[in-house]
Amino acid sequence: MTDNDSDLKPASPVRKTAARAARAGISVIWLVPIVALIVTLGLAWNAYSGRGTLISVEFSDATGIIPGETALKFREITVGGVESVRFTSDLSRVVVNIRVDRDVAEYIDSDAEFWIVRPQVSAQGIQRLDTVLTGAFIEGFWDNEVGETQRNFTGLDRMPLTRVGQLGTWIVLSSDNAKGLTEGAPVTFRGVQVGTMQNLRLGRDDESVLADAFINAPHDQRLTTATVFWDISGFSVSLGPTGVAVNVSSVASLLQGGIEFATLTSGGQRVPQGHVFPLHPDEASARASVFIDEETLVRLSVQLEGNITGLEVGAEVRYRGLTVGRVTELSVRVDPDANDGAGAVYQQLTVALTPSRLGLPAETTPDETLDYLARRVENGLRAQVAGAGFFGISLVIDLIEIEDADPAELDRQARPHPLLPSVPGEVSGIADTAQGVLARVNDMPIEEVMRAATDMMNSITAIAANEDTRAVPASLRVAIDEIQGAAGELRAATAELRAGGAIGQMRGFVDEATLAAESVRIAADDVPDMVDRIEAAVDSFDEFDFPGISEKVSAILGDLRTMLGSEDAEQLPRNLSETLQAASGLLNDLRDGNAAGSLNEALVSARVAADRIAASTERMPEVTRRIEALLARADTVIAAYGNRSDFNNEAIGMMREMRRAANAFGSLARLIERNPRAFILGR
Amino acid sequence: MKPAADDAAAPIMTAHRARLIGCRGCGRVWPESQELCNRCGTQLVPPDRRCLQAVWAWMAAGIIFYIPANLFPMLRTETFAGLQGNSNATIVGGVIELVRYGNWGVALIVFAASVVVPIGKFVAITWLALAAGRPATVASAHRRLHVFEVVEFIGRWSMIDVFVVAILSALVQLGFVASIHPGPAAASFALSVAFTMLSAQSFDPRLIWRGLPLRNRRDL
Repeated sequence: MTDNDSDLKPASPVRKTAARAARAGISVIWLVPIVALIVTLGLAWNAYSGRGTLISVEFSDATGIIPGETALKFREITVGGVESVRFTSDLSRVVVNIRVDRDVAEYIDSDAEFWIVRPQVSAQGIQRLDTVLTGAFIEGFWDNEVGETQRNFTGLDRMPLTRVGQLGTWIVLSSDNAKGLTEGAPVTFRGVQVGTMQNLRLGRDDESVLADAFINAPHDQRLTTATVFWDISGFSVSLGPTGVAVNVSSVASLLQGGIEFATLTSGGQRVPQGHVFPLHPDEASARASVFIDEETLVRLSVQLEGNITGLEVGAEVRYRGLTVGRVTELSVRVDPDANDGAGAVYQQLTVALTPSRLGLPAETTPDETLDYLARRVENGLRAQVAGAGFFGISLVIDLIEIEDADPAELDRQARPHPLLPSVPGEVSGIADTAQGVLARVNDMPIEEVMRAATDMMNSITAIAANEDTRAVPASLRVAIDEIQGAAGELRAATAELRAGGAIGQMRGFVDEATLAAESVRIAADDVPDMVDRIEAAVDSFDEFDFPGISEKVSAILGDLRTMLGSEDAEQLPRNLSETLQAASGLLNDLRDGNAAGSLNEALVSARVAADRIAASTERMPEVTRRIEALLARADTVIAAYGNRSDFNNEAIGMMREMRRAANAFGSLARLIERNPRAFILGR
Repeated sequence: MKPAADDAAAPIMTAHRARLIGCRGCGRVWPESQELCNRCGTQLVPPDRRCLQAVWAWMAAGIIFYIPANLFPMLRTETFAGLQGNSNATIVGGVIELVRYGNWGVALIVFAASVVVPIGKFVAITWLALAAGRPATVASAHRRLHVFEVVEFIGRWSMIDVFVVAILSALVQLGFVASIHPGPAAASFALSVAFTMLSAQSFDPRLIWRGLPLRNRRDL
């Protein structure tokens, strides 16, 4: 134990010094929490510094955005996430706060664009179907240049068609209306899509519709100032001599529209960004416009009086048969001071002339062109409306030179454009002629002709039914009886006269009666001539000279009626019978047998005359038939026109149906685009 | 021994009082002069409050790592290759989510293993370290020993969270459909638990008894 005690002694001081040293110094073990602290602080700092920059983007709604889950993607790589969603102060929009990774945050400057990616169903196909499964996300795009920092953005409602920094050329297309064009319509070159159209809007002057189109590089090299654009929307139906031709470019262009362009001539300069091109309604007009340079166009006003149906915007302005310009606007102008204060209404056209087409050098300024035109107007240059085309339905403006025109001058003070004097138009052409034919057929006094013909028939019937006419045979029989009686008496008288030598006198008398009958026959001969003339008239009637013929016919019929209705004609049989009575009276006094033979001849002549009248009467129904046939033909013509309009109606109806179907499809596509989940879930 | 058994406040025999030194490796008792344990070769160190520094240091490290373990996400779940979104669940967030789904039992287990146990350990060790070497009655000394034993026993069970994360991230690798990756909190939590266990191990339970003879001897 003492050993133990003695052993303990030295241990104590050692322990005490150790404890003292421990108390005085700091154990190495404390390095552990220090390192732990440093590591933790490092982690914290790393997390804090790496958590990125907060930006806020305004959207109209936050469909499918879930705070903490929805990602921000740049080129399909997640570069951030939505932290929170809130409303703007007026509750009209939502603000999405996005934490963007620090390494890309510096690139997000004023040109950054954000949009929500959802499935899209359009005429061009279904896009981003993957977002149906994964949910919507926000996509952003910005260029690779570090710009001034911006933290508040306004999100786009839809995905932009072109991305920032994409190579290509922006151009502006200007057209009269946006018919058939929609956002995102493809711009094609020889049928290959090389760009897209977007931002359809009205021009500032409300006269035109503007649209931005982006032509991707390298296809934008094909654009020059001589490039022409035209609309390939929908389908075209053309009715020509070879039949009906229906052209449909593609179903997509049918629903969405489309634009094609071509550079038809060389020599154009490269176009700057934002160059304005006119958009032509179809390829034909685009190609026709190649030589029209908008900058040198000279615009003139033309005032016209009267009907200008068929004159349309885009109608040609021709000079000696060559197209030198186009009608660009149609309007009505009221001049209250004209006609001594009575007022007048003019159609005021605006025409755009191409100086180079007028034979002027290409670099002519508008003023020089106006000087030139002013000189030409002094020499009699006038504007005039003229028909054009196969049917002559469409009208054009002709610039004609009239030798002895009334003096006029180019009114360069007129607004909005200098006023070119005009002369009344001579609208002619087949259509006009056809219209005239119809109008004249319509105006033809058919009823009067028929009435006249009926009257004539009536007159002839009246003649036939006339008691006097019927009395002729009776009178003849009486006359013959009397003649027989007279013959007996004549025999006696002859016997008496034989002694008295009166027979020679008697024969001369009968000869005179024969002459009278002959002249009646000659008069009857004229009736067939008359019928021939009616026939000729009907023939010429067939030869489309309707008014003249109808006049002639009615005149002839009138003559005929007058002739037949005249007392002379009515009196003719009576005269005949009177003559016969007179003759019989005479013959009563005569007792010579030779006189009876002469009288017989006279009667034969009278019968021939009556036969001819009858024959000519028989031909009258034929005239009526021919008139009827003609009318039937006119009817057919009119009916044919009626059919034509039926066809038109049906064609228009079909177009409407197709248009309605296209609309329905479009609205379905829009519905699905707006609410794609409905497409999947069925509600 | 009899009076000691009758009176709880009576001095009891300790190794220190018997001028012996216990081996921390195998528990064999040696005379204080002995340098090395002849049985296991461990260096014999007399109980010293100096070792409390290690306790404090390890615990500090454990607490420091416990903070990011709760702030950072424990699990990173990617569904549909992250297209549908990533869910980053912290420990407490996960518990709240489990409660929201009605899984009270699982929520309770996770909460106990991840929150109650580590914090309880911190509190217990702090208390032990503060109380070590302080005057104590025999009963309180026994209580301290119980606490220490419980802390040592339960300490390893805190690793259950880490195991869950490790197993999940190993099993749920379904490629495109879903995959689970351990978050930064998992490592922090593992470190925190490890440091806490080291802290508990650094605590010399002989210090519990050290207070008794000192007081009793002074009293004597």
